[in-house]
This record gives sequence, C-alpha cells and structure tokens, in this order.
Amino acid sequence: MTLPFTHVDWAAVAPLEVLAATGLLVLLFDLVWRPFAPRGLSLSVAFLGTILTAALIAQQYGTNVAAFNGGYIVGNFSVLFGEVVLLGTLGALALMGRGGSDRESAGTIALLLWSACGALLLAAAATTMTIFLGIELLSLALYCLCGLANRKSAREAALKYLLLSSTASAVLLFGMALLFGASGSVSLAALASPAMVTNPLFWMGSGFFLVGIAFKLSLVPFHAWAPDVYQGAPLPIAAFMTVVTKAATIAIFARFAYAALPAGASQMLLLPVWAIAGISMIVGNVGMLAQHDLKRLLGYSGIAQVGYILAALAGTTRLGLRYAFFYLVVYAVMNLGAFAVAAVLSSGDDEEGTQIQSYRGLGARRPLLAAAMTFFLLALAGLPPTAGFLGKILILAVAAGTGYLWLAALLLVGTAISLYAYAKIILAMYRPDHRVHAADIPRGAPLPWVSLALCLVATVALTFYPLLPSGLLPLVK
Amino acid sequence: MANPEHVMGVVGSYPLLIALWLLPLAGAVLCWAFGPQLKRAAGWLATAVAFAAFALTVASWGSGTQSLNGALGADQPLVRWMPGFHLGLLLDPLSLLWACIITGVGALIHLYSIGYMEGDSAFARFFAYMNFFLFAMLTLVLSDNFVGLLIGWGLVGLASYFLIGFWFYKPSAVAAARKAFVINVAGDVGIMFAIFLIVQKTGSIGFGNAFAAADTYGPTLLLAICISLFIGAAAKSAQVPLHTWLPDAMEGPTPVSALIHAATMVTAGVYLIARCAPLWSHDGNAQLLVGTIGGVTALTGAVLGMVQWDIKRILAYSTMSQIGYMIMGVGVGAYEAGVAHFFTHAFFKAQLFLGSGLIIHALANEQDVRRMGGLRKRLPFAFIAMLVGVLAICGIPGLSGSFSKDAVIQGALNHGHPWLYAVGIVTAGMTAYYMFRMLFVTFFGRYRGEIDPSELGIRHPEFAGTAAHADTGGHDSHHAPAWLMNLPVAILIVPSIFAGWLLYGGADSPWHRFFDPQFGVAAPANVPISELTTTLVTLAFVAVGILVAYLRYGTAAARESAVERLRRESVGMWPILANAFYFDVALDALFVKTSEMLGRLVSRVLDPHVVDGTVREAAIAAQGSGALVRSLQTGFVRAYAVFLAVGIACFAAFYAFHGVH
Repeated sequence: MTLPFTHVDWAAVAPLEVLAATGLLVLLFDLVWRPFAPRGLSLSVAFLGTILTAALIAQQYGTNVAAFNGGYIVGNFSVLFGEVVLLGTLGALALMGRGGSDRESAGTIALLLWSACGALLLAAAATTMTIFLGIELLSLALYCLCGLANRKSAREAALKYLLLSSTASAVLLFGMALLFGASGSVSLAALASPAMVTNPLFWMGSGFFLVGIAFKLSLVPFHAWAPDVYQGAPLPIAAFMTVVTKAATIAIFARFAYAALPAGASQMLLLPVWAIAGISMIVGNVGMLAQHDLKRLLGYSGIAQVGYILAALAGTTRLGLRYAFFYLVVYAVMNLGAFAVAAVLSSGDDEEGTQIQSYRGLGARRPLLAAAMTFFLLALAGLPPTAGFLGKILILAVAAGTGYLWLAALLLVGTAISLYAYAKIILAMYRPDHRVHAADIPRGAPLPWVSLALCLVATVALTFYPLLPSGLLPLVK
Repeated sequence: MANPEHVMGVVGSYPLLIALWLLPLAGAVLCWAFGPQLKRAAGWLATAVAFAAFALTVASWGSGTQSLNGALGADQPLVRWMPGFHLGLLLDPLSLLWACIITGVGALIHLYSIGYMEGDSAFARFFAYMNFFLFAMLTLVLSDNFVGLLIGWGLVGLASYFLIGFWFYKPSAVAAARKAFVINVAGDVGIMFAIFLIVQKTGSIGFGNAFAAADTYGPTLLLAICISLFIGAAAKSAQVPLHTWLPDAMEGPTPVSALIHAATMVTAGVYLIARCAPLWSHDGNAQLLVGTIGGVTALTGAVLGMVQWDIKRILAYSTMSQIGYMIMGVGVGAYEAGVAHFFTHAFFKAQLFLGSGLIIHALANEQDVRRMGGLRKRLPFAFIAMLVGVLAICGIPGLSGSFSKDAVIQGALNHGHPWLYAVGIVTAGMTAYYMFRMLFVTFFGRYRGEIDPSELGIRHPEFAGTAAHADTGGHDSHHAPAWLMNLPVAILIVPSIFAGWLLYGGADSPWHRFFDPQFGVAAPANVPISELTTTLVTLAFVAVGILVAYLRYGTAAARESAVERLRRESVGMWPILANAFYFDVALDALFVKTSEMLGRLVSRVLDPHVVDGTVREAAIAAQGSGALVRSLQTGFVRAYAVFLAVGIACFAAFYAFHGVH
C-alpha cells in the first residue's frame, strides 16, 4: 500500500500556492509598509494575487493531471469550478472596498484568501482526505471571518456556525471512515466498483458523507445555520459564503455523484439528496416571505437556489452537469449583484442598508440603483428575459427529461412562492416615499459600484450566452 | 409555411411596428425623467405620443391584413435568443384590432386625463404611468411568442398596481392595489406554468410552433395547458372566483378605470384565449370550462351590479359581466363574436366611465348615486353621453352593443351550449335593469346631495366632497377648460353607436371577412333558433328589465318618494348581496389566512429568530459579554441541533435499510 502523499506535484497546485502566498504578502505588507503605503494597498495586492491565480487556473484548461497520487485531479472540471470560486472571491473583495480601516481589513483579506484556497482545493479534490482538508481549510477561516463584525449578533453567529459545522464535519469524517473501511482506499474512484453495491459499510458511509455535504450546502433540514450566519456576518463575507462555499461543495458533490458511485446503485443512493433538494426549494422560498433583512432573505434564497442546481444533477447526466454549472455561474453573478447593491447602500459597518424597509422609495431617489436591484431580483426569481429564466428553463428541461418530474414540479411551485417574496422588495422600492431625501442615502464607495456594474453586464451577457456557438448548451429539446 | 417558427408575423412595415411599440415607452421615460421641468406639458406630451402611436397603428393596417401563401406574415424575429426561443413582433388581424383600441381609445383617455388630473400634485408621474401602460399592453398584444406575452402580462399588472394605488395616501387605494397585484401574480404563475409545459413539449416559445403542434399534445397535456392559461386569463379578466380585485380597483383615478379596468387590460384574458384559439379548438373540455366560467361571471356580475350604490362600482360589476360575455364567446369557440364584443365594449364602456368621471368631477368626488339625482339639467352633456352608453350596453337595436352581444349569445347556441345561451339572454335583461336604475337614480328626480346621508341609509358617509378633495391636491382649485374632458367623450359617442355595424351582414360582414383568415370560416350551424328570434327574445328581456327599472325608480311617484325608497333599500339589502356572495371572505380564509398561518409556522418552527430575535439581542446587550455563551442556552442552537440530529437519523435509517438489502 502506498502512502497517499508520497508524490508531490508542485506545478499542479501552483494556483493554490500563489493564492496562499498572496494572503501572506497582504499581512506582510500591512506589517512593514502600512505607515507609508496608500490606503487600499492590501486590497490591491489581494486583487492582483487573485487575478494571477485565476490566470494560472485558466492555463490548466484542457490538461488532465492526477497530482498527489490521484488526490488532486486537474482537469476542465476543476478549472471551471475553480474560476467560479475565484469569481466569488473577487466579488467579496470588491465589496470590502466599501469602507473601514486598512488595519482591520488586512487580516480579513488574508483569511478570505486562505478560505478561497480551501475552496480551490475542493474543486480538484478526488480523495476523501483532500476533501476533508479542503472543507476544513475553507471552514476554519470562515468561522473567524463571520465573527469579525463588531456586533453581538456576528459573534453569536460565528459561534453557532462553529458548533453546528463541527458536528457536521464529525459526521462527514465518520462517513469517510466507513467508506475507507468499505473500499480500503481513500480514493473516491475506488468506490465505483460493483462490489460496493452489496456492502452495508458503503451505504452507511455514503449516507453520513452526504449529510456532511448537505450541511455545507445548507439543504433542509441542515439549513438552520445559514440565515443566521449570513445575517450576522459582515456583508462581503456573507456574499463570499453564498457563492464560494456553495460552488466548492457542489463540485465535491458532483464528483461524488458522477465518478464515485457503482453503476446501478447511484439513483437509489442519491434519492434522499434529491428529496431534500426538493424540500429545500419549498422551505427556502417560504422562508423568504417572513424576512425583513436582505442578507437573511438572500440566505433563504440560497437554500432554494441550491435545490434548483441539484435538480439539474438529478439524472446524473453530462447535460445536467453542464446546466447545473451554467446556473451556478448565473446564481453567482446575480447574487453578487444583489449584495453589491446592498453594499452601496450600507456604508462601512452600518448594517442598516440591508434592512428591507430602508429600500422604500429607492426607485424615485436612486433610480439606477433601484433598476439594478430590480434586475437582479427578477433574475433570482427566474423571470424572463433574464439569465435566471434561461437557467431555470434548462434545469426544468433536464430534470423532466431524466424522469424527475416531481423535482420539476417542486421547482415551479417554489418559483411561484419566491415571486411573491422578491416582488415585495421591488414594490417597496417603487412605492413613493416622501420621508427620505436623496442626500440621506450614501453615495457608496467606487468598488461596490464597479462590482455591481460588472455583475449587471455578466447577468445580461449570460442571457445571451446561447447565442455563442460554443456547444456548451445544446438545444433545450 | 417553409419555417413553422413563425407562421404569423409581418412583412411590410416592421420598422413601423417597432416604432409604434417603443414610442409609448419613450414617452413614459421622458415624462418620468423630466416631469418637474415639463409640468403640464407632460400631459400633452403623453397624449401626443398616444395619438402618434394610433396613427402608426393605422398606417401599419395593410401589413397586418396581408396574406402570404395562405399564412399571414413571415419569420422576422427581433432577437434570436436560442433555437426555439425567438422573440419578435406580430401584426395580424387580432393584434391589429387590440393595438387600435389600446392606442385609439387610449389616446382619447389621455386627452381626457389632462382635464381630469388638472392640479394633481403628481401630474407628470400619472402620465408617465399611463404611457408605460400603453407600452406594456402593446408588448402583450404585439408579441409573437409566449415569453413576450408574459412580459407584457406582468408589466400591465405592474402599471395597474401603480395606477390603482396612485393616490397612495389613501389606505383603501393601497390595499386595493395590493389585492389586484396579488391576484394577478397568481395568474402570471398560471401562464408561466403553461409556458413551461409548452416548451417542454415543443422546445419553442413561438405561437406558430405551439399552435402547429396542437394536435400532438394529447388530451391531458392540452387540458393542463389550457387550464393554466385560463388561470392567467381569469385573474386578469376578473372571472369568478378571481374577480374580487376589479371592484376595489375603482380606487384609482377614473380615467385609469376607463382605460385599464374597462377598455383594455381586463380584456387581456379574452385576447389570450382568442390568440390561443387553435389550442381551445382542439379541446372540448377546456371550451366547456371556459365558456361556463364566462357565463357564470356574466350572471354574477349582473346580479351584483343590481345592488351597488357607488357609480364606479356599478360600472365595474357591469364590466365584469360584459367580460364574462366575451370570455363565454371566445370560450365556446365563437371567437369572432367574443372579440367583437371586446371591440364595441371598449367604446361604450370607456364612454360610460368617462361620463361618470364628468359627474364625479363636477360633484367634487362624490361617487354615491344616492347622493346624486336630478343631474339631467345640471350636466346635460354627461347625461347624453351616459344615455348613449347605457343604450349601447343594453343592446338597443342599431347601437353597437346589440350586434356583438347578440352574436355572442347566438354563438353559444351555435356551438352547442343551450344553457349558456339562456344565461346570456337572462343577463341581458338584468343588464338593462341595473343600467337604467343607475340612469334614473343619477339623472332624474331631485338632487339629494344636500340631504343628510343617514336619511338615505348611508351608514358610513365619507363626505368625499371635503376630505378627498384636500387629498387630491386641490382638485378643482383651477379647472381645465371643459372641452378637454367633453371632446373625448363626444368622439367616443360615434363608435359607441356605429361600431357594431361592421358586423352587419352575417358571414359576409366586413368583420367576418377581416377575421376569417385568422379563425377560419365556421361551418353554418344547424340550430332551431334563428338569429332574428334570438334578437327578439333578448329584446323582450331587455324591455322587461327597463320596465322594472322604470317602475321602481323612473315614474313620477317613484321620483317623489326616492329618498324613502333608497333608504329602505340600503338598510334592507340582503347580507348575501351586500357581501357580494362572500367571495372576498372565502378568498381571505382560503389564501390570506392560510398564508399568514404558514408564515407563522415558518417563523415559529423553522425560523425562531424572527419572532424572538429582538428580545434575545436586547437581553444579550443588557447582560454584557458573559451572555454570549449564555445565548447558546436560549434554545436556538439546541433547536438547530435537533434539526441536525433528526436529519442525520433519517439519513442513517434510509442508508442502513438499503445497505442491508
């Protein structure tokens, strides 16, 4: 038996090294140069490092390397999910530029980058050991980040997250141990042997493994932490979590569902996941109805959106994976866009900008901002002519095409419920309100504006994505 | 038909069509952006835009009717989104008719509004909304695909929401706007559902593809699609039981009621069914369902219209009843008749609403007919306008309403629905009764505006004359010239009288020749009752209705004792009618209460934070830092842990079970 990490392939993990080193550099620059350097130095370094990482990952497109004895597989799959992770990281960094002192932000930025390292690791992880390493790297940094805001609710949320997430990690680890016991290997690919179908250890191990994944994806009934944490966490961190954590965990789940399951067992084995994905679509959207805080509302929205993405994977077809990935990208940009609007409206650490009642009359006072928010909300609701509608149509087509009609039906019902919740915000924005004057609203830092504009462009561009002859999205039919 | 993507469309004047479609949007943006600078000019700008759009509609007439190889139009999408998802505009007889009414009647109502809204503090905003509504409605009827139709469908709902709640300082207006919005969102979801079904089956959103595949759907799917579409149509067109928002929508300014809640938007459901005629023609069950609902609505609206006292609510229930006729017509398959009734109704109902607006305007926002009376001499022009409208809606021979209504009633019989035929005739009699009742109470007898409201049996007098007036920003502090409001009404009198003559001549009439390419030539029906008999029977019922109204409210003795009679009727009204058959109560119990309960359940069970969050945070703040850990004992983490544990247990049980097997 070979030890898993005897062969070290530094070139394959070069993007991770760059990103981790960027985190160190940010801290170092802050320590040495802060008295002399201009404001925003840490942020600039972080941006450069992240973009460099993205470029390095893009270089790996088309290659196929199994580094670390198959523990870290570089391929198109890891490249695509890795880029979504970095997209989310860039978005969160942009939202950090809305105010606050550099002193606080250097540490935050470093932690954020290291958390993103964990997510990148997950995008390529193919053994249970690398998966666990990635999940813990991602989560440990997030525990700290969630508690950073100077509010009681933030610390409480961080503590809550730590306790519940640790429990879930323990369950995940237990599942991994059982899987190891069943196959005698940490590799996911080893699970795909027909002998596994009759092995009780394999079934139990998969069950606990999936519970851990479902927790990270905040699927019902493992969702309760998510709205609390998003509400308590600082705004950029909440944006980071909704995109990056979900993207990385979906990568893991997809790899498990597509590559690690013996033929014949996968539909029955994954059935509970599809079931809770369907429940999440309903509960997430119903949960949105009662919310007064935008971050909390987007937390519930995220619960439902993950359900939609999983519905595309339900038949475990190649087409489903493509559509799931497309919707993930759409979700990332429309969600980051909504967060960017909130960031423009809330200056510094003031969380008032995320109260839904503070959006009243926005349409008259800040028509551009209100129009952008309306667009993102319509996209999240999946109304035509936005990219969100396109994504949902594609998911519906593939879910119905692979025989998961009930998931398609739940998706429609969930969409219907969510219309009401999103419309509530839109209507509040366009209701005339004479109490507040335009001057009272913060103008917002430039970076969130840039982020907002880019998200808007990306959401529109994705709407027209099928016009490209790329072949990524074949006909609906 | 080389390309089935678009069997319908336009060839000749596509740029013209795009201009006609986008012009009102430009007007809306201008009025919105430069409202403070434009001031009163905003009204003239918006009106000019509406008239220009009407001129463009008329100019594109030829291309809307031209025929290419037996099929209308050609494949000209504006946007090729992806295969099967082409968005474009469509001009055929049906959309041409609707566009004419939207822009034509719309332009007249814009002109009227300049006078009616004179002095309102949000004058420019009103016209921005009105132009935006025109754009939304044109999007709805000019789209050549279901997605464009749905976008328009949603946008008209939004415009309606803004305009019902235009006087947002009136809580009743805000509540009415919200109610309309919620019911219409339910309808939007129905249409969305239908679109998903159609795309799933045909892989295309175009009307052409969807209709070409009509006979491949299979009975179950086709019925599901028709029912989903009809949920949308019923919500928008105020069909039972989704009609309750329409009477409340009268909280909006009267021109809005005339344009949106009488002439155009509420008939969108009729348009939808006429547009999807190929689907309905394939499904007898859907025809029966829609025809029946239409008949029930016609009857319900008429019954409720007989007991209203608010002049706009009388007209609202009459609108509901008339749309019931239209839905019945297009539902049973008499598409040309149903669409014709939309055409004539748009004129005489807009005229009735604008006429009532003249009264309301002159009486300082009084809307209760019990506090009117004797207005014939004071407002002679309004009397003539209302009289023509009433005669037209009652179906007096020679006026527009008679042609289209008789066509609908006869159509029900021709398509094998004798019960709906009977309902149509009875409803015609009831219509005559409540319209003449309104006419007698409003214009004859003595003026009762100075009488104490309690003597008339008005329990909660609103004294609209004082309160509402201050609200609307000193509505009549400086009156616009009278011709501004009288001219549009005078123009509308002409089509109210004569528009129906287009139907004269049976199968050879201009109307049939115009629409035959669209709906196909119907086989001559073999029914025992001829059209002439139908007309005579209907007329008999109408005469009885008028006679009863005259005996109750019109005779000299009745006019003398009007105060006593009105008081007695108001106090003694049956609760079931006073509560409009309890539809509101039932909907409230079914949906509002249920959703509130659901919300409470969510916040109690699934999301304890919402309920107790503030309490807990206050406690933490008071107790200092040591309380942080204590907050973990307040139960939330434990509650979450219980979720987690139950979830894990369920998963473990499932996998243990399957692992052993």
